[in-house]
Amino acid sequence: MLRQHPTARFILQRAGWYLLTFLVAVTINFFLPRLGTSNPVDIILAKSTGGLSAQAAREKEESYLKEFGLVKLDGHGNIRRDTTIRMVKVWDASKQASVSKPDTLIKPIKASSLDQFFTYVKMSLSGDLGTSFQKYPKKVLDVIVQAVPWTIALQLPTIVFGWIVGNVLGALAAYRRGMFDRVFFPVALLISSIPFFVFGMLLVYYFAVVLGWFPAMGGYADEIIPSFSFEFFGSVAYHYVLPFFSIFLILAGGQAIGMRSMGIYELGTDYIKYAKWLGIKESRVLIYLFRNAMLPQLTGLALSLGTMIGGALITEMIFSYPGLGMAMLSAIQNNDYPMIQGVTLIITTCVLIANFTVDIMIGFLDPRVKAGLQMGGN
Amino acid sequence: MKLLKNLLKSPMFVIGAGLFFGTILVALLAPLFYSVTLDRVGEQYAAPGMGHWLGTDNLGRDYISLLIMGLRSSLYVGFLAGIIATAVGTLLGIYGGFKGGWIDDLLNMLTNLFIVIPSFVVLILISASFKDGRSLTLIGLIIGATTWTWSARAVRAQSSALKSRDHIWLARINGDGTLAILVKHILPYLLSYVFMVFILQIASGILSEAAISMIGLGPLDTQSLGVILNDAKSNGALGDGVWWAFIPSTVLITMIVFALYLINTSMEGVFNPRLRK
Amino acid sequence: MSNPTFEVEHLSLHYLTRFGEKIHAVTDVSFEMKQGEILGIAGESGCGKSTLVNGLMGLFIPPLHPTSGEVKVGGESLMNRTPQDIREHVLSRRVSMIPQGAFNALNPTRKVKDIAADVIVAHEKADRKKAYDRLGERFELFFGAEAKRILNAYPVQLTAGERQRSVIGISTLLNPEMVIADEPTSALDVSTQKIVIKMIFDLLDAGIFKSMIFITHELPLLRHVADNIAIMYAGEFVEKGTAEQIVFSPKHPYTQALMGAMLSAEPGQKSRKPVAIEGAPPSLAEAIVGCRFAARCPVARPECRQNKQELRMFADRLVRCDYAE
Repeated sequence: MLRQHPTARFILQRAGWYLLTFLVAVTINFFLPRLGTSNPVDIILAKSTGGLSAQAAREKEESYLKEFGLVKLDGHGNIRRDTTIRMVKVWDASKQASVSKPDTLIKPIKASSLDQFFTYVKMSLSGDLGTSFQKYPKKVLDVIVQAVPWTIALQLPTIVFGWIVGNVLGALAAYRRGMFDRVFFPVALLISSIPFFVFGMLLVYYFAVVLGWFPAMGGYADEIIPSFSFEFFGSVAYHYVLPFFSIFLILAGGQAIGMRSMGIYELGTDYIKYAKWLGIKESRVLIYLFRNAMLPQLTGLALSLGTMIGGALITEMIFSYPGLGMAMLSAIQNNDYPMIQGVTLIITTCVLIANFTVDIMIGFLDPRVKAGLQMGGN
Repeated sequence: MKLLKNLLKSPMFVIGAGLFFGTILVALLAPLFYSVTLDRVGEQYAAPGMGHWLGTDNLGRDYISLLIMGLRSSLYVGFLAGIIATAVGTLLGIYGGFKGGWIDDLLNMLTNLFIVIPSFVVLILISASFKDGRSLTLIGLIIGATTWTWSARAVRAQSSALKSRDHIWLARINGDGTLAILVKHILPYLLSYVFMVFILQIASGILSEAAISMIGLGPLDTQSLGVILNDAKSNGALGDGVWWAFIPSTVLITMIVFALYLINTSMEGVFNPRLRK
Repeated sequence: MSNPTFEVEHLSLHYLTRFGEKIHAVTDVSFEMKQGEILGIAGESGCGKSTLVNGLMGLFIPPLHPTSGEVKVGGESLMNRTPQDIREHVLSRRVSMIPQGAFNALNPTRKVKDIAADVIVAHEKADRKKAYDRLGERFELFFGAEAKRILNAYPVQLTAGERQRSVIGISTLLNPEMVIADEPTSALDVSTQKIVIKMIFDLLDAGIFKSMIFITHELPLLRHVADNIAIMYAGEFVEKGTAEQIVFSPKHPYTQALMGAMLSAEPGQKSRKPVAIEGAPPSLAEAIVGCRFAARCPVARPECRQNKQELRMFADRLVRCDYAE
């Protein structure tokens, strides 16, 4: 029971911190797109109202305004309107002159930025990410729900395996040094200098276009309809190879370099020297080394997850992989702001969840973290 | 001077610095020796050969010209973003690490918060909102504004470790103010470290620009290595096997980043024993 | 008279750098130790003390190599043996080490009892369960009722004194014949220093280990702890005698300078100002012709730079200076 207590507190504290971070992220996600020079609704309207009558255009505009939370709504979900009746000038063809008439579509009350923000937060928290401009009237969340499994299936294994393989190689290079290290290190450094996405391009060019061994794009063959069939999963696996390697190799290279320098640092520490002086078995000393060098590496992973996932999303774009990266690319190309915002929010959420997981893992693996917390707490 | 001598003994540093300064020289001086032009000079995707050694792009423009311009832009963005990120990060990091207390807590919280929120996402959101007038300089500014957290974190750790050193106490006893101590006693010790951070920030700036350009949110006013890659990708150069559309700029980006990593790693080797003492 | 427990004959050690350069860190060190003896070794940092420690344990990890000489524990040689053999049969069992700065000597992510158990299972065919039991008994000797808490703690949860005493407990677990303590009390406050020194003497009196080399740069401490003292300079012993002789009537100019630099506040010294020894020791990468201390020696003669000095008996102790008075 006594042990339970600090652990629970530790988890709660981290969770609280990430909740705060999430709220800041939501705020950023809302306000940043409104920083710029262009108003999203104007852009989409300019595109979609061409050739419509004035009345139809107004109706369309109002439906957009409502859809995107830019106007105030009443309790029934209808647009709240300015009740003071205004006169508008209308061209009367029979009289060949402008006449004043009461406005049939009374101006909606615009929502202030703050109102919009609260609507947005409320909607986001209830899982409603709005409606896509491009795929109107499709909901953003529906598009994302289709894309997320692909992204997770591609990125989770690549990051986990890349991390493990890179760290094992890096630790070996640190421990062995000598020839292995002298060849290994510059190669790893060179590999980790290649951005994910350009490496993806090189792989596509050589293995798909020149050699024709693997497909150049997509998550599965076009002619196959997704189903739980052997054929479908075979095709998925076949399409998986190149994107997997284009992320895996570079990630492993970067991790290996980090682990190598951590390992070399740890090798020089007093506790490793002492363990050797005591005649503790070499295999055990290696475990000491690996475990302790791994902890900062885990912290490093937590910190760079955002960058990694960002890079991997671009890899998805290169391969036209049906995940979030593609959804993002097509949204950007079509100025689909709700979609961009939805995707960025989901990415941020995923990154935060992953970070939280790693943080908790570190807490369990490193007694110093919890001990520090206890000391700080008391 | 002694440091420089030690650095020059490291083959990694010599290769890295040679590559990097070589690239800068090429970017600066190439227009003097090569007539850089964005005019149509050949057919669409003309293969490399006499006249156009690296072929032409989908608009029939000379790739060497594009690459020279792209290189200049990428270096410009790298330096701009690197300077901003390093300056902001160093100021906040040194101040927070040295001061401690609630100011440090606040700065630290801010830093950790913005490190976890993927800067790539922030970059996309801002870039996407600047539909018109998204210039190279703007992109450099945005990158700098989203990556300072890394420098702040790194510098804070060092500055906080220095704080308890004897000579700092001595300076305090002598009645030196915070600013004087920071400038006279802390900054000099951190200079080599800050320089290493700067090197990494340049690399990260160049990579970020390439990434943001790849997804179509790059600068609208000029060429850059990322823009060249994006053009190649969106015009199907990859599927058509037009290797000269993307391999040269890939090599250039990788080479610059590799050179910067080499410089950083070799400096780490020379400085670290001192820092660890 | 019993046989010496520890014999070192003309031991020389060198480092081989990546560029093939040899650095002769230890040159021609000889001494013998009897059961129950405590030998103090003192010298400035970088004089080869730490290198000597590795050599005395037979631990030659590249780039450190033996040049020549012999080290024997209880008559058994430690030279020309495989690292695996040394690890299994010598370290912790015959020669053990109490390192400097025990603050960081314990693996921060491992409980004290697990580190200690690692030592036992590395040398004996014992399962961990039995190892834990044995640990409990041994640690009760030092810590009494506190033993359980200490064993179950991670190093961060212990005070500096507790950590250093745990280290001593771990180093002496397997009753080694010889213990080498490298500045075991530096970075501790005075009262903790006393507790640690007392613990070391208790262990020696209880016969848990038989003799000890105590390395420190604090000569005053050595006077109280050691029977004999050797002064090391630039990889060589320059003077060796009883603690009394070295502290109260040093003969070698370097020892005298050290005493001047360190013991200035002791009564009976001429100067009360700390006198730093000017200059730096010679580079050990090059062949040295004359006396190694000549360049810094306040009483050096011109011929000192040419003539190699040998250890010789003078005033009942060994001195490496032809002109000692």
